[in-house]
Amino acid sequence: MQSKITIKRGINIRLAGKAEMTLRSFESDFHAIIPTDFLFLSPKLLIKEGDSVKIGTPLFCDKEQESIRLVAPVSGIITEIRRGEKRRIEAIIIQNNKLYEAEEIQISAEPKREEIVDTLLRSGLWPMIRRRPFDSIANPREKPRDIFISGFDSAPLATDFRFIIQDKQKEFQKGLSIIRQLTEGKIYLSLSYGEDYSIFENIEHIELRYIKGPHPAGNIGTQIHHIAPIKKGEVVWHLDPWQVTRIGHLFLHQQIEFTKRIPLCGSEIQKPQYLEIRDGASIGKVIRETIRQEHVRIISGNILTGQKITSEGFVGFYDRQVTVIAEGGQRELLGWLLPGINKWSFSHTFLSFLFPKKEYKPNTSLQGGRRTLMMNDVYDHVFPFDILPVELYKACRIKDAALMEKLGLYEITPEDVALCELICPSKIEWQQVIREGLEQLYKER
Amino acid sequence: MKKLEKWSEQIGKLFEKGKPLHPFHALFDALDTFLLTPKEVTGRGCHIRDAVDMKRTMITVMIALFPPLLVGLWNIGYQHFLSMGMTVSLWEAFFFGFLKWLPLVITVYVSGLTVEIIFAQRRGHQVAEGFFVTGFLIPMILPPDIPLWIVALATIFAVIFGKEVFGGTGYNFLNPALLARAFIFFAYPTVISGDQVWIAEKADSYSGATPLAEAMIGNIAQLPSIAELCIGNIPGSIGETSKIAILIGALLLVFTRVANLKIMLSVIAGGLTMGFIFNLIGTLPIMEIPAYQQLLMGGFLFGTVYMATDPVTGPHTSQGKILYGFLIGIFAILIRVANKGYPEGMMLAILLMNIFAPLIDYCVIQLNIRKRLRRNHA
Repeated sequence: MQSKITIKRGINIRLAGKAEMTLRSFESDFHAIIPTDFLFLSPKLLIKEGDSVKIGTPLFCDKEQESIRLVAPVSGIITEIRRGEKRRIEAIIIQNNKLYEAEEIQISAEPKREEIVDTLLRSGLWPMIRRRPFDSIANPREKPRDIFISGFDSAPLATDFRFIIQDKQKEFQKGLSIIRQLTEGKIYLSLSYGEDYSIFENIEHIELRYIKGPHPAGNIGTQIHHIAPIKKGEVVWHLDPWQVTRIGHLFLHQQIEFTKRIPLCGSEIQKPQYLEIRDGASIGKVIRETIRQEHVRIISGNILTGQKITSEGFVGFYDRQVTVIAEGGQRELLGWLLPGINKWSFSHTFLSFLFPKKEYKPNTSLQGGRRTLMMNDVYDHVFPFDILPVELYKACRIKDAALMEKLGLYEITPEDVALCELICPSKIEWQQVIREGLEQLYKER
Repeated sequence: MKKLEKWSEQIGKLFEKGKPLHPFHALFDALDTFLLTPKEVTGRGCHIRDAVDMKRTMITVMIALFPPLLVGLWNIGYQHFLSMGMTVSLWEAFFFGFLKWLPLVITVYVSGLTVEIIFAQRRGHQVAEGFFVTGFLIPMILPPDIPLWIVALATIFAVIFGKEVFGGTGYNFLNPALLARAFIFFAYPTVISGDQVWIAEKADSYSGATPLAEAMIGNIAQLPSIAELCIGNIPGSIGETSKIAILIGALLLVFTRVANLKIMLSVIAGGLTMGFIFNLIGTLPIMEIPAYQQLLMGGFLFGTVYMATDPVTGPHTSQGKILYGFLIGIFAILIRVANKGYPEGMMLAILLMNIFAPLIDYCVIQLNIRKRLRRNHA
């Protein structure tokens, strides 16, 4: 009998355009590493435009912690260092020469903790490991209480890890045995209750947890909160199963590996399927081949937390899918009065509640005007934390860092309030408010 | 459709900053988004949004108000003709009531929306939808024959001092509709209390006392039957009389997830508790009314379903809401029974608890914080 943790509050949104379980590999001409993907990191450049790089050549490091380096995922030439306002670095773009030459890396056969940390830092794989609170890159000088791995992603149209790591089980095992040495605490791997996760199950030295319930059950924040919540001052690290296989690959094959497998999905993609690409790839070419129409929103990530990108844009470092949906903005006559059979809503104010199994083709319309927060009891239905969401929101708005901390802000990240934002009748930007709160807390810590 | 969109865009340009009609942009925006859904798309954060917005939420509350309103309108006519000793058809009674109600509701909307639009304009806000419900509620908690100038005055008072001085919809701490009623109750008590006002154009010889007033003076035997209390063919404020209609509205609100069932249940629990306590004491005739019958009298249920569930003026925490509801129930029956001056305890109980809502929230927040601190030190 599997023991389970039940998450009651949350919601699954059924969207059209789920990716088929087929894998297509795609070589992109351009790749980019985007410094803003890494929270609280200020980049210090280590290369300049025109330099040629190999896989694993450091591109920039963190000013505060120079051992944390971001490296090139492909070999080629740096064509552009794109800068935005105040000369902030927006992207470092590499033209892929498709030779895939890699920097060499020495790995000892039986590595100790310091050697593992050092190898991961040098290989550029370290930034995959993130810490809570704050979701910044793990600090190599810290020892985490525990390490959490979410074996499933419950977001709309998300990656099925069982599919992408089915031929990487050896690497996954190796990866786990490596990260096992990074903490004296436990390694928690959470799986979706009631589904067949046998490929994850015969693994030693880790704690399996079965989680039952709707999204955000697969979010790492929810799982940490329900398995072993972080107290003030504690630090935990987290990764996803694919990232574990990459670490395993490095130690098993002595190669730096930057491929990733992501679903290209969404209602505007004709043939949604998994793509095998390298980090930071520009997949505009594939998207243009397969979109149904021109007026689309391309999202690196899922529809709740992803980043809007252009068709020339790059897949974000941590993003596990690319979703393409219709762009909105069409006005409707007396929209507040219509029965709304095709409108997705958490509330039952539209007749669409009669069809719970329906798959929706969403668009990006805001669907209403921005108002002050009024319906303060809806958020509890989708926020499975022992935290008062509305009070936390208010604390962030009045910029009271002490109160934010007391109310438990350090336990969550913007993605944890994404569903509050989704169902908000006042159309409030919850994730942005929480992000600003976290930034303030980070500065004042 | 496309034509309308273009048209709205062209006219909209006249209301932009620096254009001659800019002083009326709040009015234009209100009308424009009333006709056509806004064209704004998501930016940062979630890329899709729930189809529900405040307009849809408020229209749902208004739809839920229709059952008690329709029965209430019929009852205005029914009571009027009954007092004259006449029997008329359902439609005649309804039409009479409708003609009584229409000027009331127009007065409320014109006076209230004028204030709302002026404030939205000055603040550069959009006109919030909250007043559509408030404006719909105000006539329903008034007697049918009330002078219109008093209604207008009360509405303006409630909107300005109940809402706008605190920052507008969403920042108010008193329920504006109840504030309007309380204003009339204290400033012009003769038009909203006693037994002469509840039946429109009543024949003088006919007694028009509400059940509560009868109970207050000890005429327990004169009380209407349970069936009459449920159907609502009794004198009272327009919306409060029919308990069955209110129940239908409540079901709709709960099912659409617009109103909070926990608050409704806890108000009823509080009312029953206090009712039982009085049954046990039983020194006055009014104390002997069974607890469940107390709930069916006066505005108790109407207040429970449509007023106590207002998310803005109640506590903002869900544990707080339960305590809040329970105390409303307790105070409503307590005020009703123990204080002869204020037979309608519900209004005062809700307003009183509105004032205490922030305190309840404070306690819930402190408990949450303390629990977290304890965990941190464990």
